[in-house]
Amino acid sequence: MDIGSITSAVFLGLSIGSVFLVAALGLAIIYGTAGVINMAHGELIMLGAYSTFMMQTVLGLPFFICIPLSFVIVGFIGYLIEKVLISSLYNRPLDTLLATWGVSLVLMQGVRIIFGSDPKYVEVPSFLSTNIDLGIVNLSTFRLFVMFICLIMVLATWYLFYRTTFGIKVRAVTQNKDMAASFGINSSRIYSITFAIGAGLAGVAGSLFGAMNIVLPTMGTSYVVEAFLMVVAGGGGLLGSILASALTGQIQSAFAFIYNDTYARFLVFVLIVIFLRFRPQGMISAGASRR
Amino acid sequence: MLKQNPYQNVRYQWGAYAVFFALIALIPLSMDDAFLLNQLSTYGVYGILALSLSLCWGFGGILNLGQGIAFGLGAYGMAMTMQMQTQDAADPIPPFMLNNGLDALPAIWEPFANTGLGIFLALAVPTLYCLIFGALMFQARVSGPFFAIMTLAMLSAIYTVFIDLQYLTNGVNGISPPQSLMLGSLEVDPYSTTSFWGVYIVLLVCTIAAKLITLSKFGLIVRAQNNDAERVRFLGYNVAVYETLIYTISGLMAALAGCCFAYLTQYVSPSQFDVSFSISIVIWAAIGGRGSLLWAILGAFIVQGAQSYLGDEFLNTWILILGFFFILVVRFLPTGLAGLVETLLGRLVSGGISLSPGIEQPSKSSE
Repeated sequence: MDIGSITSAVFLGLSIGSVFLVAALGLAIIYGTAGVINMAHGELIMLGAYSTFMMQTVLGLPFFICIPLSFVIVGFIGYLIEKVLISSLYNRPLDTLLATWGVSLVLMQGVRIIFGSDPKYVEVPSFLSTNIDLGIVNLSTFRLFVMFICLIMVLATWYLFYRTTFGIKVRAVTQNKDMAASFGINSSRIYSITFAIGAGLAGVAGSLFGAMNIVLPTMGTSYVVEAFLMVVAGGGGLLGSILASALTGQIQSAFAFIYNDTYARFLVFVLIVIFLRFRPQGMISAGASRR
Repeated sequence: MLKQNPYQNVRYQWGAYAVFFALIALIPLSMDDAFLLNQLSTYGVYGILALSLSLCWGFGGILNLGQGIAFGLGAYGMAMTMQMQTQDAADPIPPFMLNNGLDALPAIWEPFANTGLGIFLALAVPTLYCLIFGALMFQARVSGPFFAIMTLAMLSAIYTVFIDLQYLTNGVNGISPPQSLMLGSLEVDPYSTTSFWGVYIVLLVCTIAAKLITLSKFGLIVRAQNNDAERVRFLGYNVAVYETLIYTISGLMAALAGCCFAYLTQYVSPSQFDVSFSISIVIWAAIGGRGSLLWAILGAFIVQGAQSYLGDEFLNTWILILGFFFILVVRFLPTGLAGLVETLLGRLVSGGISLSPGIEQPSKSSE
């Protein structure tokens, strides 16, 4: 237990936490606004990774341009899903969960039929595949890049939801849909756009995770459960999700330091279950109605 | 005065069960294809799973996305028991442990050397798990989609642990006991009519038990809390106790299904804890009709039957079609095929007026 290994564990925790948060952010926005548990979120991440892969191999676009483009592509897919399916299920929360679960099955299987089950790889610029040695800790540049994008995503989301007219409308609809409607806010339009933004953020997450690991039709499932736990433990809001991701990242890193990665994952899950026993509303409760 | 829909008549319902099980009893009498018989026995396992989920989800409103946990724990318990039956005092350690470099039997495995104790544990461990997890969650009033997410999280956690504990569970390869289950001197050959009867008697007992539960006062309160938990609370009932109990009973049934599965296939692996398997259980119950015990079982038969009938080369497309079908059922037919039959019967009797109240989820009022 020297300073170096503790610092590197803390950095690893921050890095794990930022991955959680990148995966969870879109989910938190959709859940926080519309109360929809989007089980297809993992598959939207997967679609982001595949669209990045396609843009690189077919169009030859550089990685940095692929990231915003996956936001647009997956956001549009999310918009379609919301319009066609979810918009008619808003008063049936359990059925929304099931329907989006069906969507995830269809997306995963569709991608498997089109692209096959063999892994695909996303190319990254060479300077992102190096390591930076800071004396005490040795960090992968790509992990730092993920943290940086994570920060941008959080700031952009915060700005959109708390500093723009659109954000005021979203929060109005979240707090009281009928009252907002009586002030002329089209709530179903707000829901659609929010869903599209959440899906778009999943697309960005997909670009990053596709480059970090390999691209597979099943890659989404490994992120979605953790992303959900962040949202649930955080209490459904933006700030709660950030806090939960940061804390869970640190805890998992600490456990992984003592035991191994699998036990760390298992212990973190059990800890969240126990935590929710004593604080079912999550870390930061929205104060509004609990769904 | 409107006539009652025969679908809702309890006497007719018992009649339908009798016909269903009588038809099943005809199968082994009229068939001598051992392979097909074994496959039909596995359908019985799927039937028990769908039934257990229907009891918990359709009647209790508790969507359990991790039904595979109780099922898998039961299956592992049974497979461990069967594995230990082939070991003796001179050679007490299963071969895969020797490959993992163990020189003594792990303490967790020791009780499974006794067949009775092993089967008891195969049922008791998942039941106890459901009791503890259910009590933790329901006392905290975690319900609805949140509970579903937590069951999914536990499923995924247990899946990774069973893969990781290579020396105890043989990792992804799973446990494949070399011999059939021995109950005393009776050998339960998985390809025999004995094992077929074994599975379907379990299914019969579970169905009757589940039906009696739904007809009892306990079942009434379970259904009431599904409709409006807050109001049931105001009437002085401890809703968490009822939720935990129905969840645990459903888990016990899934564990029974797991035991049957292990002796039928002589194989368990972490894929029993795979999310896609638990999705299948939900799909069976949803397509058949979550609110109907019999239709949930039929849903399992229909979906699995279609899957094996269409064959492996068509499997990828089949899963895609199944996914679309599932979305359509959730969107347009939340009561599944059962709801369709109920409505049609109602129309038939009363001439155009639907009596079915359906079991659509009421929009949860804010607390």
